[in-house]
Amino acid sequence: MTPTTSLFVKVSVNGEEYEREVPARRLLVHFIRDDLDLTGTHIGCDTGSCGACTVHLDGVPVKSCSVLAAQADGAEITTIEGLAGEEQTPLQRSFSEHHALQCGYCTPGMLMSATALLEQNPTPTEDEVKIALQGNICRCTGYWNIVEAVVAAGKGSA
Amino acid sequence: MLLREVSYARPGTVEEAIELLAQNDGARALAGGQTLLNVMKQRAASPDVLVDLGRLDELRTISVSGTSLEIGAMTTLTSLIRSSEVEVTRPILAEVAATVADVQVRNRGTLGGNICVNDPTNHFPPLLVALDASMTIAGVGGERVVSAEEFFVGVFETTVQEGELLTKITVPAAGKGTGDGMSGVTLGAHGTYIANAAASVVDGTWRIALGCVGAVPVRATSAEKAFSGDVDDASARAAAKGVGATVDPPSDVHASAEYRRSLAETSIVRAVLQANERARG
Amino acid sequence: MTTTETETTTTPTIQKGFAGQSVPRKEDRRLVEGQGVFFDDVKRHGMGYLHFVRSPYPHARILSIDVAPALELPGVYGTLTGDEVAILTDPFFQIAAEPGGSMKDYALAVGKVRYVGEPVAAVVAETRELARDAAELVLVDYEPLDVVVDARRALDDDAPVLHEECGGNLTYEGVWEWGDVDQAFAEADHVVKISELHFDRFNSTPLELDGALAEYNRGTGQWTITTNNQFPGFAVIMMAPAMRVGTDKLRFVTQDIGGGFGNKITSHPQLVACCLLARKLNRPVQWTEWRTDFHQSMSHGNERWFLDTEVAVKADGTMTGFRTKALDDAGAYLRYEPLGGVIWSQVAAGMYGWRNIRLEFTQVVTNKAPCSPNRGYSRMQHLWFTERLADIVAQELGFDRVEVRKKNYVQPGQMPYETPNGCVYDSGDYPAALDLVLELIGYDTVEERRAEAASRGKLLGFGIGSTLDSGTNNFGQSQLINPDLQFSGNNEVATVKLDIFGEIVVTLGTTPQGQSHETTAAQVVADILGCDVDIVHVRAGHDSYWNSHAGFSGTYASQFAVTGLGAVKGATDMLADQMKTLASMVFQCPKEAIELADGFARIADNHEAALPFMALGAIPNANNAGFPVDPPPMNARFVYRPPFEVPDKERKFGNLTLTYSMQIHACVLEVDPETGVYELVDYAAVDDCGVRINPKIVEGQVMGATAHAIGAAMFESFTYDDEGNLLTPNFYDYHVPHTLDMPPLRTSAVESPSPFTPLGTKGMGEGGGGGIHAISAALQDALRAAGGAIVTDSHNPYHRVFEMLTHPDEARAKVEVSNR
Repeated sequence: MTPTTSLFVKVSVNGEEYEREVPARRLLVHFIRDDLDLTGTHIGCDTGSCGACTVHLDGVPVKSCSVLAAQADGAEITTIEGLAGEEQTPLQRSFSEHHALQCGYCTPGMLMSATALLEQNPTPTEDEVKIALQGNICRCTGYWNIVEAVVAAGKGSA
Repeated sequence: MLLREVSYARPGTVEEAIELLAQNDGARALAGGQTLLNVMKQRAASPDVLVDLGRLDELRTISVSGTSLEIGAMTTLTSLIRSSEVEVTRPILAEVAATVADVQVRNRGTLGGNICVNDPTNHFPPLLVALDASMTIAGVGGERVVSAEEFFVGVFETTVQEGELLTKITVPAAGKGTGDGMSGVTLGAHGTYIANAAASVVDGTWRIALGCVGAVPVRATSAEKAFSGDVDDASARAAAKGVGATVDPPSDVHASAEYRRSLAETSIVRAVLQANERARG
Repeated sequence: MTTTETETTTTPTIQKGFAGQSVPRKEDRRLVEGQGVFFDDVKRHGMGYLHFVRSPYPHARILSIDVAPALELPGVYGTLTGDEVAILTDPFFQIAAEPGGSMKDYALAVGKVRYVGEPVAAVVAETRELARDAAELVLVDYEPLDVVVDARRALDDDAPVLHEECGGNLTYEGVWEWGDVDQAFAEADHVVKISELHFDRFNSTPLELDGALAEYNRGTGQWTITTNNQFPGFAVIMMAPAMRVGTDKLRFVTQDIGGGFGNKITSHPQLVACCLLARKLNRPVQWTEWRTDFHQSMSHGNERWFLDTEVAVKADGTMTGFRTKALDDAGAYLRYEPLGGVIWSQVAAGMYGWRNIRLEFTQVVTNKAPCSPNRGYSRMQHLWFTERLADIVAQELGFDRVEVRKKNYVQPGQMPYETPNGCVYDSGDYPAALDLVLELIGYDTVEERRAEAASRGKLLGFGIGSTLDSGTNNFGQSQLINPDLQFSGNNEVATVKLDIFGEIVVTLGTTPQGQSHETTAAQVVADILGCDVDIVHVRAGHDSYWNSHAGFSGTYASQFAVTGLGAVKGATDMLADQMKTLASMVFQCPKEAIELADGFARIADNHEAALPFMALGAIPNANNAGFPVDPPPMNARFVYRPPFEVPDKERKFGNLTLTYSMQIHACVLEVDPETGVYELVDYAAVDDCGVRINPKIVEGQVMGATAHAIGAAMFESFTYDDEGNLLTPNFYDYHVPHTLDMPPLRTSAVESPSPFTPLGTKGMGEGGGGGIHAISAALQDALRAAGGAIVTDSHNPYHRVFEMLTHPDEARAKVEVSNR
């Protein structure tokens, strides 16, 4: 086996199959944003700290800036664009109802983390929500409304 | 933010991985990538070759063998947290894993990666030294086992050589009379440690390891020997007193050396009391 | 987690239709679906990606730059260096008079670098990674020079000089004095002296970094800059003369911006570099800033020392005056400075009624990142200072912390209140707001909680942080620091029209970064036109082509609710008048008989005679024959101008801001006396921003302000080492609050309408750092039981609290009380 500086990856993103040649060094977030033109996933830092780049990789939330596109070969990825179907999800509606976003830049990452939580734990407590969102930085809201929105969506009272 | 050019390979077996590591100069194992990729973004380190361990499911097992808990090096922190084997045999590992960073990092970050990085502020190096863990390292010539203390060699440095791969971390299962504790100060909740201490008592014998104060975890041997019989607040404080003067911690934007020395002592007291309570319970 | 109760003290001045309701935001749909358009989302065929080569030295001469190795790399399109920039452009206009006015500032370093991270050259390549690689190949030869990092050393005789053309590191100095300060001190019963207070350097680290996509049209010489600069009015004034082009050649386009907080005002040097390269390379050029770049080079908040402060106090606790020397650290260049040298004076008195004030303001440059506005720009520093004075005076002289504030606050009966320097506080009841926040936080249980915490070995502290948010600047203030400047007043623009099918379309001159302009503007329009808020379409973002901007257009300085909504109201009133006129022409009745309601223009006494908006829109657009006079165009543009005079430059006197919002924060925290680690356990905030168009949006702003204050107080600092290296260059070491760091929060709102604004609203976005003041006070309160250290720094990470616990005398040594 010989290491190579570029390789072909096959990924399924939001239910659609893609096959692309990528440089080994390309981060998954850049692959998503630049190669696949899915710009809902955002970049807010360069140390894997902010979570704006959060996507689901084989069903779990990960920071796509801290994964190589190469590592995602064969994986199923869900980005923010893949959440809403014909309609928004109850969580997306809850965010709006609870004013859980202002500038909207952290919002895709927040929604991906929160969606993963609700899939695991449909009625989380406030503390459980905070832990689930600990890896997502927001500079506008102070988090209070975001936590409220997720708890409310969990209770079905969005 | 953007990595330098790198070559990449994705072996299917541990043998293939070792071969790749041995045959390629400047090759590094890529586990969860939560540290390594971010270091590469800063261009603080730029390996020539990345050997992606992602397909090596054989390194993801957690099992109990006799009185030992065996954790594959590629076990993610999330898996540690969810593992019933860990919960039953050495729950401190899961408790500490749950305080590392955040869910996303824990979903990808691995125990092996965490200790191979050996960042002096990482959670697991001092904990594993306190637990008297051992590490299995595989190479072209076979396997070797080292103690946790032998494993950690310097800042960002372990005894894993070029062409070798950490495959397993073995931790003694906690029997009756065993108690573990870990305490420290972090930069914000679940943040990076500024100072910490991990303490473990097994049938009255103490192991106490300090993180953040040296290139590698430091055993607080004077404190360990100071306990005889019951441990309480007063004896814990007496044991910890003076330990700060024996270490040479760094000064940085978050803490002066003097502050770290003081925090080290306080962390010992709290970790010891935590461990003591659990040993009794 | 939060509850909000509303108290309205007086009847609002506008009819409550949609205004006053927490209408859901129009912005949300696209943002929750990931369909927002932030500048980095925009792509152009053939675009090149730009990476800046940045200085590793804090101070050095540039001996040579060799870009040839970079150009050899396949995929590299071109480069730009300071030498080229110095030929192609003129230095940026300087706001400062001498000596700062002589400073030469360009898009790239010319001849010298003055801070680590300063852009020295730019490389454009086919991919982001290639541009980054190529940047590493550029060879720059530096001759390192000595460094000055501490502002207190910048004016020493032997201090290294950053800008030789300025003759030294001084950029601005001025004495600001009103009342009779000497007399106040002569009559004082007590004088409290504080040798040093320090407001630390940090900013708001918006999650989205700066950046732009610059396109150049060779045929017309026009640039289109898709960016997230939040003050395009300022950017074009700086860029156009430097680039030797007319301002209309710089078209600014913004849509969604991921947070600004003032930190996206001074990207114009980088934007010039992008524009020059777009023209040179004949392709669109895209620059994305990375987090480390931002921390090292962009928009630090002003660091300010208050030295040799003295407060004159009467026996009954009345604070009659203060004097101090403010030393402001502007970083390496003046990008918006020295406006900070006057803007603090909008709140010179803070919330207090003292009439005798003397402040000697000195601003210097140092080898650190250039400062730019940051939330509560230049007011926050000063408000922290005045609040520290109240707190320290109370503690040292044995007065009750609540009573001292109530006694010294400007009283509601005095509103509108003219401060010693002629600013007018428009409205507000500060004592009542203080009572409200004390009730919210359960002030009467504090001592009980303190005892309970002590039983757990913790030191409990309670603190109040009262603060103002002055909004809608009078840019005549600039003349107080440079009398030759030709800026005064303020403005904002809006257009409203009915399209051919009757659609209502609104354009703003603002550049919102989360402040919900589309929503609140729609609420105001809907109420005036008598229609549903859902049919009011407000265009997202800003575009120079819309011609709905003026010289001060942008979103900054807490003013949208006044200037932006003032412009919206003005334009909509005009449109409403046009609609009524046209309806009256159609129905051949007097205009006064027409009302706008339920989505129609109709005769008030006869609802059968009703025209839908589509009918009105169609007439001037497509069906205008047969009218004896021109039907009104159904299209209005309004420039809102706040009522300001040019201030008196001699006395430094005059009204500098139109509105004054107020927030009072209270917090309870627990300190671990063994480690200095502390935790916020309870928190409350009361806000008064006049009439609230959308209460939930206002509350969101208060929450955001709280979070920023907590970050600044506990975690965030741009700390440098002695060699000029930034020790917190990214989120690894610069910790910002995450969910688990936030305390429980209760908020409440009071509405004291502004008598000066079209809608009774006040600009309220930034919050004046109330939480920083509250945490400083709470820490000091906690430490009373353990050495009694005085808090003299705005930034109190654990290590500083530990210092105060272990060396309280050093902290106390800065305070001295003398009694008559």
